[in-house]
Amino acid sequence: MHFNLSEERKMLKESCDRLLNDHYTKYKNHHEVSNSETGFNKKFWEECSEIGMLSALISPDLNGLGGTGEDIMIVFELIGKHLVVEPFLSSGILSITSLTNSKDIDTSVLDEISSASKIYAFGHSEVDTRYDETYIKTKANYKNDAVFLTGQKSFVLNGDFANKIICTARFSGNDFDQNGFGLYEIDKTHCDIRSYNTIDGYRAAELKFSEIPAKELCKNSDAYNALLETLYAGAFALSAESIGAMEVCFNMTLEYLKTREQFGKAIGSFQALQHRMVDIMIEIEQAKSAVMLAAGTYEADKNTKYKNISAAKNLVGRAGKLVAEECIQLHGGIAMTWEYNLHNYAKRLVMIDHLMGDSDHHLEKFKLYSNY
Amino acid sequence: MDFNFTQDENDFRQEIKDWLSENLSQRISNKVKKFQRLDKNDYEEFMKALSAKGWLAVNWPEEHGGTGWSNSQKHIFEEEIVKAGAPRIVPFGLNMLGPVLMEFGNKEQKKYYLPRILNCDDWWAQGYSEPGSGSDLASLKTKAIDHGDHYIVNGQKTWTTLGQFANKIFCLVKTDTDCKPQNGISFLLIDIDSPGIEVRPIITLDGEHEVNEVWLKDVKVPKENLLGEENKGWTYAKYLLTHERTGIAGVPNSKSAINHLKVIANKTYKNGKPLIQDPLFSSQIAELEIDLKAMEIFNLRAISSAESGKAPVMESSLLKIKGSIIRQKTSDLLRKAIGPQALPYISEQFDEGWNQETIGPEYAGPLAKQYFIYRKISIYGGSNEIQKNIVAKSEFRM
Repeated sequence: MHFNLSEERKMLKESCDRLLNDHYTKYKNHHEVSNSETGFNKKFWEECSEIGMLSALISPDLNGLGGTGEDIMIVFELIGKHLVVEPFLSSGILSITSLTNSKDIDTSVLDEISSASKIYAFGHSEVDTRYDETYIKTKANYKNDAVFLTGQKSFVLNGDFANKIICTARFSGNDFDQNGFGLYEIDKTHCDIRSYNTIDGYRAAELKFSEIPAKELCKNSDAYNALLETLYAGAFALSAESIGAMEVCFNMTLEYLKTREQFGKAIGSFQALQHRMVDIMIEIEQAKSAVMLAAGTYEADKNTKYKNISAAKNLVGRAGKLVAEECIQLHGGIAMTWEYNLHNYAKRLVMIDHLMGDSDHHLEKFKLYSNY
Repeated sequence: MDFNFTQDENDFRQEIKDWLSENLSQRISNKVKKFQRLDKNDYEEFMKALSAKGWLAVNWPEEHGGTGWSNSQKHIFEEEIVKAGAPRIVPFGLNMLGPVLMEFGNKEQKKYYLPRILNCDDWWAQGYSEPGSGSDLASLKTKAIDHGDHYIVNGQKTWTTLGQFANKIFCLVKTDTDCKPQNGISFLLIDIDSPGIEVRPIITLDGEHEVNEVWLKDVKVPKENLLGEENKGWTYAKYLLTHERTGIAGVPNSKSAINHLKVIANKTYKNGKPLIQDPLFSSQIAELEIDLKAMEIFNLRAISSAESGKAPVMESSLLKIKGSIIRQKTSDLLRKAIGPQALPYISEQFDEGWNQETIGPEYAGPLAKQYFIYRKISIYGGSNEIQKNIVAKSEFRM
């Protein structure tokens, strides 16, 4: 048993960290990137691809360089640390996982994604389906050899600038059935797109479409399995991302407590504040440990894998909220300003709990996979 | 990163299990599982068996008769003895005094005391806290006056755990008062049978006698019983507190308590269904289980960084705090799980051999009592607030 990163992974981590840091210090904050017309920086996205940050999310059998839980953890902790708005989650984790769990894997598509030449987005949630796994109202209509989709997908991360969208749609059964739905690929140009920024400064879109041509990736139990894999991959990546963001919040707050003076001394000299910092520290270590366990069992049987990811996402949801709220409180008024960067991290931490299942959702799933 | 135990470690676990099934008596493990009162012989029977096997001094180096085990092995061992329902290995001689003796004791002291600890010839008690010195330990008042070849000691120690069974006590005493409190403390090894020592029971809120007051009145202590140098006791005391704290989180205890909780929640009914199926209650168990699993990994991370030579001082404090919270929450849920069955308190139920009918299931009897006594976990060994001070001082540098 050991918890060290291999030399190769340490190098991956260092080189990615350097690239992200160099790039993002050019901007005032990540809103500047999101607010640009394209919503992300294409040249930087290509640089990320060049140093292998996208290949790190794909297993060597499929022309990638990684794809293990540990690789995903390393990449996403850094994404959280630098509040990266580029489509690592949507085009990276979600699309890659759904594609690699589909029936016929087309490695040329994966190559297009990892080389940054195409961007994919993933659409499952609909406006009122919350975090449900199989509540799918979008319809798939099979006619002869072709299939056509009608419906609406909501909160599609990077759905506005992706070239292709992978989405879920139902062709039979009731809204919540595990059978009777499929995963399909659709073209963005066929959709009616409403693009917007999220509260935490990322880009998302509402997609509406009616009887548009689609390509079936898988259906029925294959689709159900691929969907679960995708949602859990996303929950795991977000959990790792949260760790990166929590650590930044903690460090910013510690620094502030040392420099901010009131009553003639650094406010960090007050025990009431010191003790709250220790409480945060404990929960960050706890969250990190849960994410490490999920990373270490990412390749295990599905029950173990999903149980540990649900545990991590639950714990990260609770810890992230604590860190966000406490770091704002410990800073005081300055943290309420747009100017001071803390709110961006705090918002990301809280909004991560609104993606891919919140802490309540994952507590239920944890019970399910633990046979309560 | 690798979360698996090696084949060697798995074999090791099996070896421990096999040994325990043969050498830990059913009589004792039953008492432990029923939270019955243990007497001196119960502790000693198990510790002597371990000693004969060479497994008593888990944390000692081999040259002194220890196991020389790796931290992972120690972790496995601790887990298995808790699972088996063994009495706890009394830590005062083995884990507290032992390492200090090895580091700071003179040749004669090591030669005399260490084997006696190893063979269970001596039962040591800890003489640190005083009525006026809890968290502020350095303010202690027990005084040792130099009388040439001996000291005369006067004062009072308190919270002396299992002192009623002890024949020796190591004490922090004041040998100089004209200096910073920390610089005038010495570390004395004292016979409890010495004239002038009286051990009086303190009955705790659960009605039990585990801790004591120790009164010292004109107690004569020979100079050869001074450990290390005069006025350096604070250094030794701190060494003792930072030594071998990887077990501080109590992971094995919480694990078995949560398993117990789940068993009980399966047997207890609410609205006609097992309590474990009640969403409100089961969510509380699940959250606790998630926290415990994370803490287990956190603990293993600390152990593995200790293995690579980094003293896990900060981690120990964080683990002590989180560990106490988890143990207390578990005992809180255990108490809640049984509803009104928590009310009856039949003290005789905790005596060996008691065989009358219980009110409600037998497992219900100790749960409320345990809940109350477990409040101590966040108080002893440096309260959680003191742990936070330690972390703030060492990590935040504020």
